[in-house]
Formats: sequence, structure tokens, C-alpha cells
Amino acid sequence: MTSTATVGDLVSQPYKYGFITDIETEKIAKGLSEDVVRLISAKKKEPAFLLDFRLRAYRQWLQMEEPDWASLGHPPIDYQEIIYYAAPKQQEKKASLDEVDPKLLETFDKLGIPLSEQKRLSNVAVDAVFDSVSIATTYREKLAESGVIFCSISEAVKDHADLVEKYLGTVVPGNDNYFAALNSAVFSDGSFVFIPKGVACPMELSTYFRINSGDTGQFERTLIVAEEGASVSYLEGCTAPMFDTNQLHAAVVELVVLDDASIKYSTVQNWYAGDENGKGGIYNFVTKRGQCRGDRSHISWTQVETGSAITWKYPSCVLQGADSVGEFYSVALTNNRQQADTGTKMIHVGPRTRSTIVSKGISAGHSSNSYRGLVQIGPKAVGARNYSQCDSMLIGDQAAANTYPYIRSQQPDASIEHEASTCRISADQLFYLQSRGIAFEEAVSMMVSGFCRDVFNQLPMEFAAEADKLLALKLEGSVG
Amino acid sequence: MVAASLSTPPVAAARSGWTTALLAAAPGATGADALAATRRRAAEALQAIPLPSRRDEAWRFTDVSALTALSPSLLEASAAEMPAAADGSLRLVLDGQGDPLEGLALPEGIEPISGEALEELLGQVLTATGSDQLWPVLLNGAIASRVLALRVSGTIAPTLELVSETGTAAGVLPLRLLLVLEPEASVEVLQVHRSAGANLTSVVLEARLGEGATLRHGLLAPGHDAGCLLATLAVEQATGSTFRSVSAHGGWALGRLEPRLVQREGAALSGLKALQLADGRQISDTHSQMVFAGPDGRLEQLHKAVADGQGRSVFNGAVQVPRAAQRTDAAQLSRNLLLSDRARIDTKPELEIVADDVRCAHGATVSRLQLDELFYLQSRGIAADQAARLLLRGFCEEVLQELPAAARPWQPLASLLGEGRP
Amino acid sequence: MIRPDAPVLLEIRDLQARVEDQPILKGVSLTIRAGEIHAVMGRNGSGKSTLSKVLAGHPAYTVTGGSVHYRGEDLLALEPEQRARLGLFLGFQYPVEIPGVSNLEFLRVATNARRSGKGEEELDTFAFEDLVKERLQVVQMDPAFLERSVNEGFSGGEKKRNEILQMALLDPLVAVLDETDSGLDIDALRIVAGGVNHLAGPDNATLLITHYQRLLDVITPDYVHVMAAGRILRTGGKELALELEERGYDWVDAELAATERAPAEVV
Repeated sequence: MTSTATVGDLVSQPYKYGFITDIETEKIAKGLSEDVVRLISAKKKEPAFLLDFRLRAYRQWLQMEEPDWASLGHPPIDYQEIIYYAAPKQQEKKASLDEVDPKLLETFDKLGIPLSEQKRLSNVAVDAVFDSVSIATTYREKLAESGVIFCSISEAVKDHADLVEKYLGTVVPGNDNYFAALNSAVFSDGSFVFIPKGVACPMELSTYFRINSGDTGQFERTLIVAEEGASVSYLEGCTAPMFDTNQLHAAVVELVVLDDASIKYSTVQNWYAGDENGKGGIYNFVTKRGQCRGDRSHISWTQVETGSAITWKYPSCVLQGADSVGEFYSVALTNNRQQADTGTKMIHVGPRTRSTIVSKGISAGHSSNSYRGLVQIGPKAVGARNYSQCDSMLIGDQAAANTYPYIRSQQPDASIEHEASTCRISADQLFYLQSRGIAFEEAVSMMVSGFCRDVFNQLPMEFAAEADKLLALKLEGSVG
Repeated sequence: MVAASLSTPPVAAARSGWTTALLAAAPGATGADALAATRRRAAEALQAIPLPSRRDEAWRFTDVSALTALSPSLLEASAAEMPAAADGSLRLVLDGQGDPLEGLALPEGIEPISGEALEELLGQVLTATGSDQLWPVLLNGAIASRVLALRVSGTIAPTLELVSETGTAAGVLPLRLLLVLEPEASVEVLQVHRSAGANLTSVVLEARLGEGATLRHGLLAPGHDAGCLLATLAVEQATGSTFRSVSAHGGWALGRLEPRLVQREGAALSGLKALQLADGRQISDTHSQMVFAGPDGRLEQLHKAVADGQGRSVFNGAVQVPRAAQRTDAAQLSRNLLLSDRARIDTKPELEIVADDVRCAHGATVSRLQLDELFYLQSRGIAADQAARLLLRGFCEEVLQELPAAARPWQPLASLLGEGRP
Repeated sequence: MIRPDAPVLLEIRDLQARVEDQPILKGVSLTIRAGEIHAVMGRNGSGKSTLSKVLAGHPAYTVTGGSVHYRGEDLLALEPEQRARLGLFLGFQYPVEIPGVSNLEFLRVATNARRSGKGEEELDTFAFEDLVKERLQVVQMDPAFLERSVNEGFSGGEKKRNEILQMALLDPLVAVLDETDSGLDIDALRIVAGGVNHLAGPDNATLLITHYQRLLDVITPDYVHVMAAGRILRTGGKELALELEERGYDWVDAELAATERAPAEVV
């Protein structure tokens, strides 16, 4: 081919968030034990119920085995080599941003998430999490006016203990799976959102996770509750510096939605993915689950997964309430030696529940990209409906695209439709676009974003363009 | 995950006890014939592994307790009534003991394989398709003391009809079949396996297709709700060959069909059309696997399933397209009818691809009969239940009418739906 | 319109090319001046389509000899998109479907790429929509086509009209139209030909590739070239096309056999 760039070259753009912030950090010693769990709880001055929750989970974790059913391969993780708590050295969370270490503010500036009053995004409230702790949350007062609580989960434990106790662990129990149990034992921080009855959250909420330390695991926990008739749109973003060792990230996200309420949860995941030989990068083992407890409730997951050496993630919906709706829109892009095993579970329990799954996997380089999903229609889900569409785009003949949809039904009066297809960027399509004056890179980017359009359309406006650019960057160097 | 370390020895012992008892009941593999070595190896392997359980991904939804409820002995041959063979059909009756070829004149182009040739060929396709360590194949290998092995060259006019009828007798009937199609050979083969009682039909067919060969294959297996069927279909295809299989099974306490195909160098055509039915407390299961080991291969697969009563239908359709298999064109569709609120459907189409220039698609649907179709019939004066029966028949016939003509005397639809049975 | 003093737009000299290991073009020479309409005719496999692909820079074809100059510049050294930006347009025989990419966006990006090639300013979305609506008239296309994915699910005629729409937007200096008439019914053919005639002017040139006379009934060529076995066998005026129509291609075979025999005897 005459083009100097190949689509293959296009996918390998240097990771631009790989810098390390030089800041003094308070870390506890490596390793995990009951004492460590107690120490984390003590550092956070937690009430007894939470320590109990952690200890129960820890004891159960000890009995469990790391799951091996996903299409993933990695050297064994030594859980005693990980630091379970690291926090930038500064006193208690600051009352005002002026008191936050300027280095931290600068870090988030560099990541494109300005926190200061002058520069912050006008219609998005941000909770910034650095290693194990939340360092700032913007617009809290404004949100409080409408009764919305948006703060770090540590603060919520102090200020809204009753709510945390009522909901924490009710969607993802402490012993749900290996990584969720680990998270329940050692989680450090994360976001808490509470939208009271009848309130439509007046702005987008966003949490930005930054791993900075090289030997620290990140175990954040997010809990979002939307009471009757409430609604919120929430977005999380993630980056990490480039280290040539692997860091473990095992998060848990729980969503609770009551009657007529809705949560839209979007993720743009751009953890460091390791280098082209697979050295370094984040191991991302995440449990995300939402429960549509109320009638006519609605949960929508949108994810754009471009980073991590390994992604193991199945944002799910338990559709309990009658007429509740679950949605999953996903773009997962893997390149080099990245491995992703991701998908969703739609558990239809209540009558007339509906779910939609749209998954777009793009595999390039030597990567492996699997969709794994479950659609389960229980005996009481009369009139339930599911539609799933799983498309794979392969770039080069060294990448793997796998599709494993599990479909189970026990309800005759329900209908399930699943479709899957594969495609590639063909040389003919590229030539056609080029022959109309469109540069190679732009042609690839147009086709990839065309492939992902159904998913990008679901992202909040501010982030859709970002996602488009991110994919184009990640694809640099791989077609051809 | 948690359960893995908790398997209690007494249960495991009791389960493999069934296997041990069956092996004890089978005549010892002392001979020096082609099968003896296979039998010894299979018996050893079989005893080293536990019975399939829900912990195995391949048996996750398929309970084998109906199988272990059967008498762990070899089935005594019994005379059974069969419909007269259709015109143009050459019927071989398999009872696991007698020689099905005795007293028969094979048409020109078909000859038995024996001696060293058999020793060399037997098990090759099982290995090539990765089927040699499957539990049903090991079970069959450990107890089958006969093999029907045929070599086919040229175009064979009559349909080879391979029939077994276990009737009401108790025990296990092992059947081992080997077909070798020379290049450009063409033949139609129909397997019929019937049961009327608490017994197991264990059948393993190996088929090897030379370049440009064509095998039209049919399998009709109407069962009994105390009976079990474990059927493996291992097929290795050379370039330019065509394998088209039409299968229908149903009515078994446990009926499991495992078609495992490999296109050795790609550039072949594989067709799988299947229907399976589960009513009462029956389990109907198909685990198919298609491997394209070379470029330009094609697969057309349609799998249909009906679950009624408290029946359970399981389908797992794996398609593997490795890097060597550029320009593969694979289409798979799983269509499922769930007719009762106590029945269950589990379906999982699986695609594994490492080649960029391919067209692979799969689809799956699960629903009851289409309301608008029902309504259309009702609006023409047909009663609801009759309309439902008509639509169900239509759903089944799409597959059944593609069975070889030799299947007609067996009344495929009526026998599968259990009609006309006492 | 033949004007001997008009500037040369495209100068092809002894062009040779192969696809994989198969030589297809075996020495094609052709000079195209501004204002001219050329038609290249020939049977399937004669190398006509290869010529068009090589001119546009299709990666599957390798040039093994000869040269192509486009307004004095070495065309073969340019990427396909650079050629397009400089005003070379290829109308595809089989326009490619690109699912997910909206036709409107595609047309806008392409138009702006061409405009930047001409040193003009890019159009914003609104200005572009005005332009595209106006150009739609040329091919009598329904604006609904703009909302669909590029060529996806278009009928054969719709695809060809979409090609001419692109030509109308990109304002090429040299338009190479590869079998633009194939798969068109008579009405669609008239619309497409009308578009081509409308766009042809004294400053640009058109190279039609076809094997039927019927396109030349509606677009009158200044020159007709007959291609066979990778060469231009004969060049004439529009009457040559009529001769082909009348006598068929058999005489081409005879002539070809004669020319082939000569070197064979030398060997």
C-alpha cells in the first residue's frame, strides 16, 4: 500500500497521561491481613458496622479462589505484594480548594479536569480521587440546594452513616465474587451519590480516578442511590501513570434505583494499558451492578473501555421492578497485548422488564477482546424483552475477537433476540475514502467512530467527542 | 468457584461407581484386534475422570442423573419391529453384537475396512476434531467391541441406513461407526436410533471426507423418556468437500448430540441443520463445534429447539476461526421455542475469531409461537390449540423435510412428538 | 472540445502495472488536455478498470514502468488523497459501502479536503448544507440520501448518482468515470450523463471507461481509444465507437493476434 501510515501504526499512540506526580504519600506496609483491614478502617475512623462488613468480606475472601473462566491470561497476582492504602500527605480533607496541595490541583489540570473555581467545568460536578482518597468535590453546595448528596464515600460514612449502612453491599454483597470480596475488605475511597425523591439532579456528576503510586492497588467503591422519581447522569474517568509493573484495580459500583427513578452511568476508562510488549499496565477487575428495585425504574450503563492491560468487567442490571429497563452500551478497544473480557448481565425478574445490549469490540495488534454476556429471563418475567447486538471489528490478523453470549429463558411469554457479526476495515473502503481526498488517519477514524456510533450517542455530550478522539488516538498505528 | 474444593469423596465414588460397574459388565478387552487397544486406553482414561457434572462448562446445564439411573450393563440384543425400508435404502441393523453386514451384498464402491487399515484409521478423526477425550466418546470407546467401518469411493446410489432399536431392554448399547470417503466420493447416510425404555444408546460416528467428497448425513433419534442418547459426530473435511447434516432428536430423558467438525485445510462446505425437542422432564442438548483450520471455508448452521412441559433444551454452538482461516464465511442461527412456563431454554452461540477478513455472524432468538401468526390462523377460523399445533409442526418441518428420504417410513414428526405411541 | 493549445492535464507515458504477479497494463500512453472528453473502450479484462485504479492510486496495483504526469507533476508519487485534493476524481464502478459513516459527513469532509487542495477556505456545516442541496439538483437526488450511511443499501443507480454528486461537489479537473453506465436503467443513465455533461467545461477533462456505445450516445467523446490486453490498440474520433458497436470486438482480437504474433516469433 502506498500509504506511509498503516492502520496498524494508527493504533499505537503514546499514552499521554503516563506522568507521575511527585508528592509525598502516606502508605501503609505491603500485604493483606486482618490487621491491615482493621488499620484501613481505623485510619478512616469508621463506625463498627463498616469494620464488621470489611472483616466478614475479608474472611470470605480467604475462602475463595480467583476466577479463571474468562478468556484472560496473566501471571499470578501476589496479594501480599500490594499496598492497600496510600494517600497524599495532607491533613483532613480541605474545606476549600485553596487549601488543597497545588501539586494535586495541577495534576488534575494536566488530566483535563480542572478543579479550581475559575477553571472548572460549568455544568459538571467533579469528585477527584487520587490513589486511595478523594481530594476534592466541586459544586457540593450548589448540589446540596436541591438535596443531592455528592461526596466521597469516606465522607458519606461520617456524615450520612444511616444511608450508607442501609444500601452498602445490598447490590453487590461482600462475598459476591473474589474481587468484590477483596474490595469490600479494603476499599479506600470512591464516590457516594444520593438523589432524593422526585429530584432530577441539576448537573452531570463525575468522578475522576487517578492512580499515582506504582505499588498501590486501587479499590474504590461507588454507591449511587436514586429515590422514587429521581434521576441522575454520572460519569467516571480513569488514568494512571506508566509503570512497568502491573497495578491492581478492583472496584465495586452499586446502583440502587427505586420507582420511576433512573441512573445513567457512563465510563471512559483509559487506565495505562502497558507497552506494546505487554509490560506494565493496570489489571482492572471490576464489579458493577445496578438494581432496578422500583417499578418503571431505569439503569443505563455506557462504557468506553480503551485502557488497562486486563479488563474484567460486566456492568449488570437486576431488573426487579415491573416495567423496569436496563441498558448496556459498550465500546471496548484492545491493542498490542491488551486483554478484555467484558460484557453484561441482564437479569429479568419482574414482569415486562426490558433490556438492550449494544456491544462493539475493536481488536487490534496481538490483543484479545471478548464479549461475555448473560441474558436471563426468570419464570416471573412475563412479557420481558431483550435485544442484543454484539459486533466485532478486527484490525490485523493477530488479534482475537470472541463472543460468548449466554441466553437463558424460563418464561415463554418473553422474547430474546441476539445478533452478532464481525467486520473489518477493508482496504477497499479505505481507498474509497482516500480517493475522495480524506487522509488515511481520518478515514480510519471515521470508520471506527461510525462503527461505534450507537454507543457514542449514549454518552453525555461533553464526553462523546472526547471518546471519539480517544479511540482515534488509541488506534494510531494498527490498521494496514 | 467456591464449590470446586468442596466435592465430597463419597459422592464422587458413587458416581464413578456407575462407570466402574459398566466396565466390569463389558467383556474384557483382551483381543489383539484394532478395537482392543482403543478400549483399554479409553477404559483407563474414563476411570481417571469423574462423571460429567455441572462444574464442567460443557455440562453446565445438562444433568446426567438420568444416565446413572440406568442399569450399568450391556444391552441384550432383542428383536424389534421396524418399518420396512424405503425404496433406495440399504438398511444395516446395528445391535452391537452381530455383524450388520452378514448376508448383505454391499453395492459397488462400498467396502468394509479391516485389519491394519482399520487400526490406522480408527480414532484419527476423533483426534483431529478434539473429540477423543470427551466423556461420551471415552465411554463408547471403553465398551464398544465392534466397529462398522466402511470405505466409499465413487457415487453411491442407495442411502446407507444405519439403524438401532433398543426397545424396552435395559442397559447400554455402544455403536461405533467409521466412514472414509475417498476423493470425489458421494454418499447419503441416515442414522436412526430409537428407544422404548430405560437404556442408553451410545453412538460415535467418525467420518473422513477426501477432497471433493460429499456426505449427506441424516440422524433421526426419537427417544423414550427413560432412555438416553449420547451421539457424537466427528467429521474431518478435506478441501472441496461437502458435509451436510440434518438431525432431529427428542423425547429422551437425556439426549445429547455433539457434532464436531474440522475443515482440515479450509475451502470446504459444512452444513448443520438440527431440531431438538424436550417435553415432560426431558433434556435435549446439542454441543456443536466447528473449526476452520484453513482459509475459504463455509458453515451454514441452523439449530432449532422446542421446550415444552418441564423440558430443558441446551444448545452450545462453538465456531473457531483461527488466523489461518481467512475469508471464512460462517453463519449460525439458533431459534428456540419456549412453550411452557416450566420449561427452560439455554442457548449460547460462541464465536472465536483471529482473522480479519472473515464474515461470521450468529443470531439467537427465544420466544413462544408468534402471536401474529397464531392470530392470522385463528382469524381464518382455526381454533387456538390447533393453530398452535400447526405452527409447531411448521417450525419442526423446516428441518425434518430436509432429512434423507429414507427417514420417511420412520415418520419423523409423529415419532418425535410421541404421537401414535401407546 | 479539442483545442490543440489547451494545457495538458494528464500525460500518461508507456504505463505498465500489475496486480499481485499478474501484469495487466503493458504500456499505455495517453494525453488529455483541458476541455477534452476521452472514452476508453474494450472488453472485460482488457485493462480499462486497472488504468482507472492506477490513476487514482489503488494500493493493490503496482506500477512497474512508465510515468503519469498530472499538470506537470509526478502523479504516481502522490497518495490517493493527495491526488483527490489536487482535482483527480475516480468514479467507481462499484462504489464501496461504508456502514456507520453518514453520507453527509463524508461528503463534507471530502469537499473540504478538496477545497483545502485548491487553497479555498473550508465550509462550515451550514454553508456546506446549502452547497450540497444545490448540487443535489445535478443528479436529482432525494436529500434523504444524505442522512444514510455511505452507499449502504443504495441501489445500483443510487450509488452511481452518489458518485456524480461527489464529482459535482469536488469540482475535479480530471474525472475518470469507470463503467459509470453499468447497472443503470435508461432513466438513471440519462440523469448520470446529464450530470457529467453539466460538469464538463473548457478547463476540465473527462475520461470515460465503458464497453458500451450507449453512454457515448448521451456523452459525446472527442477521442475514443480501444484497449486490449493492456494496451491502447487504436485511437480515433467518436466514429470509432460506432464502428465497434457495429462490428463488435472480434476484429480487435484479430488485430491483437497479429501484433502478439510478431514478438512471439522473435522469441
